Amino acid sequence: MVRTASEVAGRSAGLRASGPGRRPLVKGLQHAGRRIRPGLLALLAAVLPSLSSAFTVFACEPEWAALTRVLLPTARLHVATHAGQDPHHIEARPALIAQVRNADLVACTGASLESGWLPTLQERAGNPKAREVFFAADHVRLIDPQPGAIGTPWAGDVHAEGNPHLHLDPHRLLLVLAALAERLGQELPAERGAIAQRRTDFEKRWREHIAGWERLAQPLRGKPVAAQHSSFGYLWPWLGMRQTADLEPRPGMAPTPGHLQRLLDGLRAAPPLAVVVTTYQDARAGRWLAGQLGPAVPLLVLPATVGEQAAADGLVEWMNALLASLLKAARP
Amino acid sequence: MPTRSSPARLRLSIALLWAIAAGSALAQPRPGTADWQFGAVLDLTHTSRELAVGTRDAGLQLGHSDLTASGPLGSALRAQLTATFETHEGKLERGIEEAWLETTRLPAGLTLRAGRFASQVGYLNAQHPHADDFVERPLLYRGFFGGHWTDDGLRLNWTAPTPMYLMFGFEALRGKRLVEETAEPVGGLGITTLVAKMGADIGRSHSWQLGLSHIRSRREAAVEPEHHDDEEAGHDDDEDDHADEHAHGHHGAQFSGRRTWMVDATWKWAPEGNNRERQLRVSLEWARISGLNRHADAGDRHQAHALSVVWRWRADWEVGARADWLRVRMPHEEHFHGARLSEHALMVAWKPGHMQSLRLQLSRQRNGAAFDDAAKRALQLQYVLAFGAHGAHSF
Repeated sequence: MVRTASEVAGRSAGLRASGPGRRPLVKGLQHAGRRIRPGLLALLAAVLPSLSSAFTVFACEPEWAALTRVLLPTARLHVATHAGQDPHHIEARPALIAQVRNADLVACTGASLESGWLPTLQERAGNPKAREVFFAADHVRLIDPQPGAIGTPWAGDVHAEGNPHLHLDPHRLLLVLAALAERLGQELPAERGAIAQRRTDFEKRWREHIAGWERLAQPLRGKPVAAQHSSFGYLWPWLGMRQTADLEPRPGMAPTPGHLQRLLDGLRAAPPLAVVVTTYQDARAGRWLAGQLGPAVPLLVLPATVGEQAAADGLVEWMNALLASLLKAARP
Repeated sequence: MPTRSSPARLRLSIALLWAIAAGSALAQPRPGTADWQFGAVLDLTHTSRELAVGTRDAGLQLGHSDLTASGPLGSALRAQLTATFETHEGKLERGIEEAWLETTRLPAGLTLRAGRFASQVGYLNAQHPHADDFVERPLLYRGFFGGHWTDDGLRLNWTAPTPMYLMFGFEALRGKRLVEETAEPVGGLGITTLVAKMGADIGRSHSWQLGLSHIRSRREAAVEPEHHDDEEAGHDDDEDDHADEHAHGHHGAQFSGRRTWMVDATWKWAPEGNNRERQLRVSLEWARISGLNRHADAGDRHQAHALSVVWRWRADWEVGARADWLRVRMPHEEHFHGARLSEHALMVAWKPGHMQSLRLQLSRQRNGAAFDDAAKRALQLQYVLAFGAHGAHSF
């Protein structure tokens, strides 16, 4: 069904670009353009329909944009968020609605990570293709599921489905890659073979990297770490590390002085390797805690995802950088 | 679909309820589609002194609280049902605020909605009051829309396939929940609205939205013999009144007319777009109503505007200020009295997570000579709690 819809859209876009009826309008616009100021033309460009026929993907987070680039380098991408933004708390901004309106595929994390903004984008965009979202969380087993949990004001931001930050496990990332390749192949049957080939190539290289990272991470095994939120909840078990303290009193609630003070007593008895916060969290709470624990416990401000323009190399570099920071903290 | 008499309206609501319940039971669960979600919001507010054109009683009050169910109906429709509860002068009022069906699969950026829903005019009206930044809505909404205008009818929206957000919307509504009592009987869809919205980002940190709304109404408000601005004026429970909710007090607009123009502008700034930690929100709304009734001339107009600024300086703390002005022509028999009211509010809110917020607000009203109940100062403390699925919010 989605196939047919995209075919129809593609055909009508082609008609709009080259149909005979278009000619006089284009000429008229060109003629008018000589007299109209350039600023007005720029405004016109912003409100005229995009005639690009490239397959357009709206990615809620940069990691899914990166996987899309790996599989379909020709795709046009709108990346809704970056490593400096908390993906739980994005606003349904007009700019994002326009991007969803023009998307052929929407790729997100799921597990309620985007429940505060994606439904509004879908509703406002009026794009049926944006209703069949590719959710990464549908294709892997999540950690910490809390079946039957209903949100109460005092429990914090509980995700009943489990921890949604699954892209920090390189093994699970491959499962998502396979599912995304399958989906893109359904959307673009003509490219199915090429997509499958790119998937195989990436998977081979990524597995080699995983083996390298796991060798490199030997000194981290069994090490405790204090972190804010469950943002790196998949990284720690993969590296054999343990998160012994969460700076948030409840999931999604900002750290409070009282909670940090309570944590401090426990952490003094068993100092963590480091205090870890993400680049989108306010580092003040982490800095205070690390300061109290002394020079042996550094504060690490780590990016929870890749750059918005990243592809295969970007994913590798990001993982390299995360490991390098942790290993540096582990060096005596 | 909307009909003249109130038993028919009740039947419509019941039919919608039934359709939603039956539809959700029969709907095949499909991969990739969201499940039905249920949520509740509780609003507890203490007000030191009632404000003129206010929606809050003095003392402790159960404010706009609701139970909401929303989800897919089959593969091409989405539905929402919202029941509200609030106390007004010590009595519990219940109502169905939203009961609608919406298409999800129409092509070309079109969306059609039918049932009871909040009109999308202006910036605030379509938003749920529990997400507001202030305890009371601006005078503009309290005076012209009864706080939050929901009505029965149809909506057709078109979102343009442009790089910049551009949306045009049309609504045809009964208008009985806006202008409750008319000078002459008005049947069918008495009010139509046209809305245009546009918006975009500027760099990573700035975003903006502009809206233009026009409302045309065939419902000319009945002129009450005296003190129509008095909240306590009771109505006879004639059969034309609410059948499915408590028939008490005003819920519609105090000031209305044939034509309304509204302009809204919103600008938000968050360093690097990370609005969780820090954000500045500025919003300006303006409305003008003309064609007040058959006795009005071109100079008789209602006008209101509101400017609000809110600053989130930490993930869980916000402070805000709002100034709003209302200038109206109060109809008395066949002539009008001019009246003005201005209100200034300061608020501070603590929001530990997005399931609860505690807000303290100080409001001051001035120039309220014609509003005999204008409050010099009012202090309000509001606690909003959310349970279950908290719906997504708009920009």
